[in-house]
Amino acid sequence: MTRIAGLASVVAAVGLLPWLSGKDPALTVLRARSAEQEPTKEALDAVRRDLGLDAGPLSLLGSWASGLVRGDLGVSWVPGTEVLPSVAAGVQVSLALMGAAFGVALVLSCALVAPVLVRGRRSAGAFAAMLAAVPEFLLATVALLVCGVWLGWLPTSGWQGPQYMVLPALALGVPAGGLLGRLVADALPGVLDERWVELWRGAGVSRRLIAGAALKRVLPPLVPQFGMVAVGLTGGAVAVETVFAVPGIGRTALGAAKSQDLPLLQGAVLALLTLGLVMGALAAFTRRRLLGPALRDASLALPPARPVRTHPAIPLTLFTLLAVAIGWGLLRDPYAVHTADRLAAPSWSHPLGTDGLGRDVLARLGHGAAPTVGTAAAVCLLSLLVALALGFLPGVAAGAADIANALPPVIVGILIAAVAGPGTGGAALAVALISWPPLAAHAAALVQEVRASSFLLAQRAIGAPPWWILTRHVLPSVAAPVARHALLRLPGIALALASLGFLGLGAQPPAPEWGLLLDESRAYVERAPWAALAPAVALALLAGLAVSGAAYAQGRRAPRTGEGRKVTPVARVGV
Amino acid sequence: MRTIPLLDVRDLVVRYGAVTAVDHVSFSLDAGETLAIEGPSGCGKSSTAMAVLQLRRPDSGEVRFEGRELTGLTEPGLRPLRPRMQPVFQDPYGSLSPRQRIRDAVAEPLRLQGLRPTAGQVAALLDRVGLDPSYGDRRPHELSGGQCQRAGIARALASNPRLLVLDEPVSALDPSVRAGILNLLADLRDELGLAYLFICHDRAVVRHFADRVVEMRDGRITSR
Repeated sequence: MTRIAGLASVVAAVGLLPWLSGKDPALTVLRARSAEQEPTKEALDAVRRDLGLDAGPLSLLGSWASGLVRGDLGVSWVPGTEVLPSVAAGVQVSLALMGAAFGVALVLSCALVAPVLVRGRRSAGAFAAMLAAVPEFLLATVALLVCGVWLGWLPTSGWQGPQYMVLPALALGVPAGGLLGRLVADALPGVLDERWVELWRGAGVSRRLIAGAALKRVLPPLVPQFGMVAVGLTGGAVAVETVFAVPGIGRTALGAAKSQDLPLLQGAVLALLTLGLVMGALAAFTRRRLLGPALRDASLALPPARPVRTHPAIPLTLFTLLAVAIGWGLLRDPYAVHTADRLAAPSWSHPLGTDGLGRDVLARLGHGAAPTVGTAAAVCLLSLLVALALGFLPGVAAGAADIANALPPVIVGILIAAVAGPGTGGAALAVALISWPPLAAHAAALVQEVRASSFLLAQRAIGAPPWWILTRHVLPSVAAPVARHALLRLPGIALALASLGFLGLGAQPPAPEWGLLLDESRAYVERAPWAALAPAVALALLAGLAVSGAAYAQGRRAPRTGEGRKVTPVARVGV
Repeated sequence: MRTIPLLDVRDLVVRYGAVTAVDHVSFSLDAGETLAIEGPSGCGKSSTAMAVLQLRRPDSGEVRFEGRELTGLTEPGLRPLRPRMQPVFQDPYGSLSPRQRIRDAVAEPLRLQGLRPTAGQVAALLDRVGLDPSYGDRRPHELSGGQCQRAGIARALASNPRLLVLDEPVSALDPSVRAGILNLLADLRDELGLAYLFICHDRAVVRHFADRVVEMRDGRITSR
């Protein structure tokens, strides 16, 4: 229900974009229709009348909504074509791609779960977590580079046959499969330790039957998470379709946002959100079928997952590698243009080569760390503050979190870029809007736990006023674990920001932001793969740091009672 | 003329929804006296304790402490009186914040009154309840149940109370530790002239410890 309300408000926000942004779409439209025409007042008024902009925001929204009921999505502003056919065509392509990606995810997650079931390994381990943390845009770029450009096995752009589907489906399916596989594989050992397994073994039940029953036991509580994966797929589709020039709905939405083509953007965002909602509803339906009518939510909770222990050397090594590269790059000039050395291969004077303008890649990498990680830190802090404030109002937090969970950051990024124009601030806001809900949920759970503990009664008994209890007892017990949780999400937030930068929705050239770096280098990836590889590797190191750092912190904290029980999900902010 | 009792409870009623946990309970307690309320679990004795302390406001009835009627007071109005009546809870770990060092937990009631307790004052409080002052550096989970209960008593004593409401103070402890805590409470009563409202389900403990015993069944006092 909250999701439908969320969908309605997001679509309405899309409809009101020109008034929200304070920019005149008539000018944009005029420019797009004919480059020669002077933007005179008459010409602009004609465009406005033509688009129905003169009637005011509510009537435009109203006529669009009534058209929607009749199955008419209006006429696109820029090419002047019907929206519905282009949205339908895009959805068709995207559905085929998502279907293939889902197949990839299924195969991969089975491969990750099998060793746990067959050989009784303790968990899928760091490999699956690593796969789950790699954002789609990064994987897409690397797949393009390796399979498409270097090996030449598969076509890299377009949509003309099944072979065009392979790379996009892999890029979209592997992170989803990694996440699904890890969820199941991490939950299985706990289930296999339950009493009934021993009993069945003792009774001589075959291993195959036990494995089947354990799977059946594990799946229902995880199905809601699968809905989240579906939402992530719709967001990931935008990036993957952009990289491989697939004419799907995600690319349509991005293009429409960049050209301020509101009817097309409305139609595309509506289609994307509906896709996410339908997949979420399918997940909920599956769960109900699996559980049967008699079982209620709480009656089938999973045993707590055993934390994966990571040696502290892994995050430390990743951190050191990143720090050295960044430190070295900081000593160099990121804006100096050496036209003679364009697309130069790595050498002593340019350790990571140069980009298309002859700028030093290492320098740009080093100087890009501050905007990339600094913005992420600011977003992280903002989310933490919001989460702490809302943690004390659990009702508000739950409703808002439901809506925010149903929106992939890239769609919020598209909307905000359409309002405020692309920029670092807009991207930061988009990611902040998405990143606070898990923190707020954690804070709310802790507040509830602390409020219920009896020592607060003892505080009241010594005559402590509410502010004393709040600032000296409740806040410290909540803030510290939530801040740690926020810190673990920092690399994930940086990746989400980079993905927006990659799509041209974040930092603008010539800023050396990592996502933007990756996007800029994509144009000449055949000639200078190092320029694309450097930011890709830096982002992959960041993803690895996110996963190993979180696993290490969890493993270290788990033996103690209290906060260790709250297993924080590993940070993953998909595009 | 009879002196005013330290605590005077009249027609106390506590309801949880449709259930009446405490049903028109009346009793009084003089300074330095120990009154035990004895009864099986669920009879309403803990609810009575909470209502006397005004940690759960009673639905009707009067609670007079040092001659002042408490039920009509607002929470801010109650706060200055709270230090003079302190609870000791059943769960020794439950009354101390798991994050606080024992030293800070014991000093907190004094800090709350705007005082700056010295290390010596805190050490004296710990010493009085039979804890070595070196335990002040520890946190509750690093203490045994009995040590923790002693720390809880030290914290209760810090604000110089006249009445301690002991809600099953030894029920969660081992029998060997139990005697030590009861002896400590008896010594403190004699030294400081404290009055105790002693909530307990164990008849043997009650008979030794209390000056007077009332029995509670199903929310009512059945014998005195």
